[in-house]
Amino acid sequence: MIAAEVVAQLESPSSLLVGSVGSDGVPDATRGWGVQVLGPDRLRVLLSDNADRTLANLADGGRIALTTTHFQTLVSWQLKGRAIAIGPVTAADRIRFDAFCAGCVQILHQTDGTPEEIIWRLAPPGIVACEMVVEQVFDQTPGPEAGARIAPVGAR
Amino acid sequence: MTTDGDGLRLSDIAACFEGIIPAEIATASADGVPNVTHLSRVHLLDDERVVLSNQFFSKTVRNLAENPYGCVVVIDPLTYDSYRLLVQYERTERRGPLFDRMRRDVDAIAALTGMEGVFKLRSADIYRVLDLERVRSAADVSADDAQGS
Repeated sequence: MIAAEVVAQLESPSSLLVGSVGSDGVPDATRGWGVQVLGPDRLRVLLSDNADRTLANLADGGRIALTTTHFQTLVSWQLKGRAIAIGPVTAADRIRFDAFCAGCVQILHQTDGTPEEIIWRLAPPGIVACEMVVEQVFDQTPGPEAGARIAPVGAR
Repeated sequence: MTTDGDGLRLSDIAACFEGIIPAEIATASADGVPNVTHLSRVHLLDDERVVLSNQFFSKTVRNLAENPYGCVVVIDPLTYDSYRLLVQYERTERRGPLFDRMRRDVDAIAALTGMEGVFKLRSADIYRVLDLERVRSAADVSADDAQGS
């Protein structure tokens, strides 16, 4: 079970980081572009369609790490598990992606004054959807407790 | 170091290393479990190496002891262009001019973000950059389309 506060942050605009690792042991980093919590241990994570290494790493049920960080409070959670499917996005995904990007741009613009059109340059060319089973959740908020495991998530 | 077709050098993206926009780093344990976290700043050491400030990212440090490869993504604060660096851990410094300079930077970032007493430099970790590439965005694709039309 993913805690309600984690669910709330996952489904809001935040800094979303995605880590994966290839069969050669080389890790890859990319960004996430929106999350839908599908169930007690299931997430649908939107990824850039040109994150080639990440998509290859996750294609056959690869391990995935997803970190969400609140832009202003820096409260962070890291969720670890496995990718179970990668596929094209739906209309609902596109709406979620647009809302996520618009929310992030607005927050970042208000935070540091960067022009919105500059921030929009981060947006990926296209997106795909990755379904993920969450096995563990960690508190990743900056500080000496960063990395503390909050819960195993074994609701399947 | 290899780069993408643009022949990019680390010095070409020096603005990314000013600590204005946090970077990210992914590492992996020996048994293949990835970890991904923010970095307050990546420092440019020379055209082959970068330095990461080790404050408390303990899982990252443990992973790098087992598997020396990491993937770092930095953002240019002026253009918001992203760059992906494949890095390999080289060595750690816990004293000396580099460490002192980085400690001052960490203290400054802590003061700016209200994290005094939380952000504290433990070591300066030096990484060789094996590969550097620009992450293409929607803006790049639009520009390509405009050029092609």
